[in-house]
Amino acid sequence: MPEALLDVAGLRVRFGRDVEAVRGVSLAVERGQTHCVVGESGCGKSVSALAVMGLLARGATRTATHMRFDGQDITDLSERALQALRGDRMAMIFQEPMTSLNPAYTVGSQMAEVLSRHRGTPKRLGLERAAELLAKVGITAPGLRLGQYPHQLSGGLRQRVMIAMALMCDPELLIADEPTTALDVTVQAQILRLLQGLQRELGLAILLITHDLGVVARIAHKVSVMYAGEVLESASAADLFASPRHPYTQGLLACVPVPGRIRRGDPLGSIPGTVPRIAPGFTGCGFRDRCAFARPDCAGAIAQRDDGLGHRHLCQLAA
Amino acid sequence: MTAAIEVRDVTRVFRQGTGVFSADRHIRAVDGVSFAVEPGSCLGIVGESGCGKSTLARLILGLLPVSSGEILVDGKRLADMDGKARARLIQPVFQDPFSSLNPRRRIRDIVALPLQAQGITGAERTRLVDEMLVRVGLPGGIADRLPAQLSGGQRQRVAIARALVLRPRIVVCDEPTSALDVSVQAQILNLLAELQRELGLTTVFISHNLAVVEHISDRVAVMYLGRMVEQAATDDLFARPAHPYTKALLASVLTPEPGLGVPDVGLGDLYPDPANIPTGCRFHPRCPVAEARCAVATPVPKVIATGVAECLLT
Repeated sequence: MPEALLDVAGLRVRFGRDVEAVRGVSLAVERGQTHCVVGESGCGKSVSALAVMGLLARGATRTATHMRFDGQDITDLSERALQALRGDRMAMIFQEPMTSLNPAYTVGSQMAEVLSRHRGTPKRLGLERAAELLAKVGITAPGLRLGQYPHQLSGGLRQRVMIAMALMCDPELLIADEPTTALDVTVQAQILRLLQGLQRELGLAILLITHDLGVVARIAHKVSVMYAGEVLESASAADLFASPRHPYTQGLLACVPVPGRIRRGDPLGSIPGTVPRIAPGFTGCGFRDRCAFARPDCAGAIAQRDDGLGHRHLCQLAA
Repeated sequence: MTAAIEVRDVTRVFRQGTGVFSADRHIRAVDGVSFAVEPGSCLGIVGESGCGKSTLARLILGLLPVSSGEILVDGKRLADMDGKARARLIQPVFQDPFSSLNPRRRIRDIVALPLQAQGITGAERTRLVDEMLVRVGLPGGIADRLPAQLSGGQRQRVAIARALVLRPRIVVCDEPTSALDVSVQAQILNLLAELQRELGLTTVFISHNLAVVEHISDRVAVMYLGRMVEQAATDDLFARPAHPYTKALLASVLTPEPGLGVPDVGLGDLYPDPANIPTGCRFHPRCPVAEARCAVATPVPKVIATGVAECLLT
């Protein structure tokens, strides 16, 4: 098997003394593939992505067994070296494009800045490249859009601009944090198709963070299900949806209403309780308080189960 | 039987000032909408952002006056009712349980507010509040906390308790689960369905999530740029959508079924501008099956086998 483009092992993130948001996350993203990290709010999925990019807020501490990008360990890279990498070989897009685009600059000038920063490209050439990419992400009249400000664009257009901007330096890895959550379903489908098309064309590796199991099912090659700072289960998308092994994954799948699947009047499956806050030093299964099958030994060390075919899960109970 | 809610040719126009020297823009957020909701049933309203579904909710709740047309609630004109009478009959549940609850009031006082407004006091008020908090599944002891100490799901339960404490006959829910996680969303949907059955509530359920609407509604209405373009019983609408826009919306629902890929919705990039509504059929610039006449002739609601649709081609 070829080495993964991004290979993270044992990632931990702490905020102060009381909160451990990410507890030993390992995941790998292969070239040309999409790895989805799915979970509910507060499970640590966005923090994991930010940690990989070195974008954590001050006050957060990050440790990892290793964090390799294209074979190079980036765990202890200097801020300057990271800055050279970010926006160049690895790029990130966020949920709310309005807050990540600069409202005071035109689309064209902020896009051209990416190239001038990383490559020293003159603005004129940067604008040409920007126009070319805007056309590639399906924006009609790119010349007009270059001169506009973010507030003059609709949500779907802004998200396309974000994607185009992330592509300015031909990144190898794209980290997308809830890229379609703020969009209408019709636009969501368009944006996801766009990402798939770009992946095929450019061989992009995509790490996609989402809470939406529908998005995961339709776009992921691999899936990691996160809960309370841990990856509870990881498998290929086909395998995960066909035979979820962890009680949390099973519960999550039962919660999603599927048209034509559950009769009206029948209750949806639901998971009682809420996601716990985990302090450093927590032991045992983070899901045990909400798990219908929890046993006393779930408070002890939890074994990782592996079927040898890439389907892993963290659970004490027999599969 | 009198409809619980009857909306007759209702229009709401907003004036949007764009600057000192430019002319105001007029936005017809709701444009000649008519429908009725049977007592005890649930009408789901779906559509993209900006289609006017939230404005419609506010009109039905009496929080905004109509520009023209009229709304009857329980056979009486909404415009003739005072705030108190309206509050006893119809109550809202909004999307964001973080901003719809006063952060400085205790849960007990938040839920008691509608009772207080109706002049219900003392032991009776306390009893009704406690009863309702139990009914929506909140643990005891939560009554004296502040909203910030509650999770999103618990806050939405508080919002539901506040809406139901007066025992209204009608509840209008505007995206009640959109801000919640899936596992919590399922809890809230189950609660709403239960309460609806138990209390015989009439519900208007507004959401952009078609799967959620399918699960909870008896009938579904589809809105596009201020018009209601299709209405039908839920099963019919999902099995046999008539309007091209309804078809596109249904096609874009991503069910958790791997291997199906991301559908090509075929709507193009032209996003509608509510201040600049296209001529003819307002959907024609994005419609995958539009013909030349669609840009000229304006469609009117037409009775079809499953319900009502507004398309020249059906």
